[in-house]
Amino acid sequence: MSKIICSAAIRGAHNIFERTEKKWQEAMDKYGAKQEVGFPNTGYYLPIIYGILGIPIETLGDMEKVLNKCRLLLPPPVHEEVHTPYLAPALDAGMATLFAEEMEEAIRILENPNFYTQQEDPTSDNIWLGPANDVTLRRRGIEFVDGSAPGFAAILGAAPDDDVAVQIARELQERSLYVFMGAQHEGRHFAQQLVDNNVQIGWPTRLVSFGPDISAAVFALGFATRAAMAFGGVQPGDSRKILEYNKERVFAFVMALGKVTDEWYANAAGAINYGFPVIADTPIPEVLPTGICTYEHVISNIPYDEIVDRAAEVRGLKVTVSEVPVPVSYGPAFEGERIRKEDLHAECGGGASLAVELATMKELDEVEDGHIEVIGPDIDEVEPGTKLPLGVVVEIAGREMQDDFEPILERQIHHFVNYAEGVMHIGQRDIAWYRISQNAYEKGFRIKNIGDILYAKLHQDFGTIFDKLQVKLYTREENVREIIENARDIYATRDARIEGMTDEDTDPFYSCTLCQSFAPSHVCMVSPERTGLCGAYNWLDCKAAYQINPQGPNQPVNKGKLISEKYGEWEGINEFVKQASRGKIEGYTFYSILDRPMTTCGCCECVAAVLPMCNGVMTVNREHEGMTPCGMKFTTLAGTVGGGQSTPGFVGHSKYYICQRKFIAAEGSILRLVWMPKSLKEEIKDRFNARAEELGIPDLLDRIADEDVGVTEEEILPFLEEKDHPALKMDPLF
Amino acid sequence: MAKHISIAGKGGTGKTTLAALLIRYLLEKNKKPVLAVDADPNANLYEALGLERGGSVSEIIKNTKDINAVPQGMTKDVYIDYHLQRALSEGKGLDLLTLGGPEGAGCYCFPNQLLSHFMGQLSDNYPYMLIDNEAGMEHLSRRIAQSVDLLLIVSDSTVRGVRSAGRIAALTQSLDLKIKNSYLVLNRSKNGADAKLQEEIEKTKLHLIGSIPEDPRVFDYDASGRPLFELPLVSPATKAAFNIGDQLKI
Repeated sequence: MSKIICSAAIRGAHNIFERTEKKWQEAMDKYGAKQEVGFPNTGYYLPIIYGILGIPIETLGDMEKVLNKCRLLLPPPVHEEVHTPYLAPALDAGMATLFAEEMEEAIRILENPNFYTQQEDPTSDNIWLGPANDVTLRRRGIEFVDGSAPGFAAILGAAPDDDVAVQIARELQERSLYVFMGAQHEGRHFAQQLVDNNVQIGWPTRLVSFGPDISAAVFALGFATRAAMAFGGVQPGDSRKILEYNKERVFAFVMALGKVTDEWYANAAGAINYGFPVIADTPIPEVLPTGICTYEHVISNIPYDEIVDRAAEVRGLKVTVSEVPVPVSYGPAFEGERIRKEDLHAECGGGASLAVELATMKELDEVEDGHIEVIGPDIDEVEPGTKLPLGVVVEIAGREMQDDFEPILERQIHHFVNYAEGVMHIGQRDIAWYRISQNAYEKGFRIKNIGDILYAKLHQDFGTIFDKLQVKLYTREENVREIIENARDIYATRDARIEGMTDEDTDPFYSCTLCQSFAPSHVCMVSPERTGLCGAYNWLDCKAAYQINPQGPNQPVNKGKLISEKYGEWEGINEFVKQASRGKIEGYTFYSILDRPMTTCGCCECVAAVLPMCNGVMTVNREHEGMTPCGMKFTTLAGTVGGGQSTPGFVGHSKYYICQRKFIAAEGSILRLVWMPKSLKEEIKDRFNARAEELGIPDLLDRIADEDVGVTEEEILPFLEEKDHPALKMDPLF
Repeated sequence: MAKHISIAGKGGTGKTTLAALLIRYLLEKNKKPVLAVDADPNANLYEALGLERGGSVSEIIKNTKDINAVPQGMTKDVYIDYHLQRALSEGKGLDLLTLGGPEGAGCYCFPNQLLSHFMGQLSDNYPYMLIDNEAGMEHLSRRIAQSVDLLLIVSDSTVRGVRSAGRIAALTQSLDLKIKNSYLVLNRSKNGADAKLQEEIEKTKLHLIGSIPEDPRVFDYDASGRPLFELPLVSPATKAAFNIGDQLKI
């Protein structure tokens, strides 16, 4: 923590403590130790002290032990020669400050019972409400729990002018936050600024004027402390849980407007204990590294027009959108609706015009949350039946956002747009296809509403992974063309990333038991590096199929404990295979052809077989009708190893798998491959050569025999020797 | 859910003619939109309906296995849905989907399973789905529909034809398909069923719902490539088909 801030906070804490101690001594002299003291109409005594320390303050005399605790907590003032550590002592000083101020306020109420109105609204001659009673706590605090109020902004001081004050209050209200106000700057109060401009303040409008001094901060933090006890079920004295509850559940922050005095720093340090960061308009030192708060602790010098946005962002406050604002019915019931040609008002994509969708990550300052813009004509500016180009660009920013999330969010566009009645959405990426019906058009649906839908639904369902989202809808061909070109590069990068997914880093894998109808003991397992043996589906397909039909034949299976990395064997997979094969198969390996290879249904694209004499492996694809060096044609092979058996020396696989890194990796991957049909070589050569290059033998494909070389081991062996095939020098297979 | 009418029969018996005429019936009776499905590998329903030829489903299914056709980041469900929707030929009150020939050897369980899902979703958009089938009906349960409301088996007016229709009816029993009602339709009938034919029909245990008479205009339209769909309403074939439609209380 900044040394300047810590020094100031500790100095401030000492001042506040000394003042409180003096006032307490005077009150003791005047009223005696038995004098009852406390905040009105509450069962939580002085709530911060009660919550954090578990001490119920009922009399002036009770305060003595808390004063002693404060003395222990207060660190010595920071000297020049002390360099570390700063954070912990400053946080302790902050807690001591809050305890002292609660007592100071309690003594003030004792001496001057009418200092605060003690009700939910200000009166004509007193704007200061004072601490909330338990009725208000229950009525308002519940909103913190049910989410209708995400938290509060504790505003200290005053805005530089009244307009700014009103603007900030409005923006906070729009975010459904409570505004707790206290302290003053150059003699002005934020609450007074609002009153002077006819803004109605009080609990009902969520603009709560707690008190004129900095010590009113304890009414805000006391409210938070009581919420943890009343709604979170935290026991008094369980300080850690109270602070954690607030950090996780109450989205509050301190907004310091004006000169930050030592005493403000002391209170800010108290707030940081709760995970509430400080946002200042003045250029004070910042405390950026995270630790207690979710993100930064103190940020400063923030312009007024950004201050609410920045505060929400630093506190990690999420926007909640409850309704999808479109003029048509909206819900999953409308998914799968086909808009027929004779019913359509406008069409984008689907071969009729260009259409593209892209979700892309941006920096926080590049995105204005909720901004939706149609660039080009909307559908009410064109003839009915027009084929309009469309580029849907969703720009997303957030603290937790990663570029890995882009395709996940992009895929949702399909579902979310489809939920609108009279709107059809098919495809994704640069084969997106939209149709808007005449009916939807007449009800007022426009291209712009696509943005409204995406904004609302993505926030609703994925708000945890981003903070801000804006949607741009381009309807001019030159723009859309440009987006497509840019998007294709992005898609290529994403595809490469999927191809780069590894089994080691992925969990779960997916099962496929579709083929059990004719191979009852067969259980396919699909991992990123071992695609399905029928060649029709990869890991991502299975995942999508599972989402479409969670009870279907593709189920997620957690790998469980690793048995062998080389052979690709996991306990979780084996357990699943045993159960799904009804006990017929005890388990299998993913990457071996010799040691309990994966079962084969019989409908695989290729079958690989060991060729002992060549110390290698051959593979043959279904389309190849001729004889192979293992002595069997494809059909015989498939019939022999199929039917859901695991046959050592043989394994069924897809064409794509040959070029994946895990292809019979236990036996040496494609370096073992000594024979395959010419047509198969031709079909996979680009990918194969890339993989061979990775393995350091770029011309491997030319060293592999095919039917022209021979169809027996004896015929192909001399060729392999002549070509110096790597399999011949590898460890013996048996 | 769409009411599913399926037309089956040996090759050359006039399935496509009956399909086109019944679709015409549905449109005239305002029972629309209709989803027509041409499941005959030798697809020509589009011609009878006067529509453009659309894409074929078997091409789509085949492409799901082409390493280079589907990008890694796009899953097969998206691919199949998009191309299935694109493959429709769109007409007035009517859309047509063509299945195309067989995909060839190999396992297509996975794409067929997805196709079946999207077919269900697509047919929900239409009150009526009418399928012109290949002789056998294996493809039906596999990927198009798991139940049939009305199965019409077409036969020519010969003893051999009716026997063959009977075999098809028996075959459908062995499929994993729920068929609510099956009927026989005689095509190119000269003057109804004589006693000998009547005997054969009884053996099939199929109820004869109607006969389409030999109509020279059907031949003329076929010969000149005009859509059967445009046959005048007064022509004997059309009238007979409309009568069958009324009988069936579609």
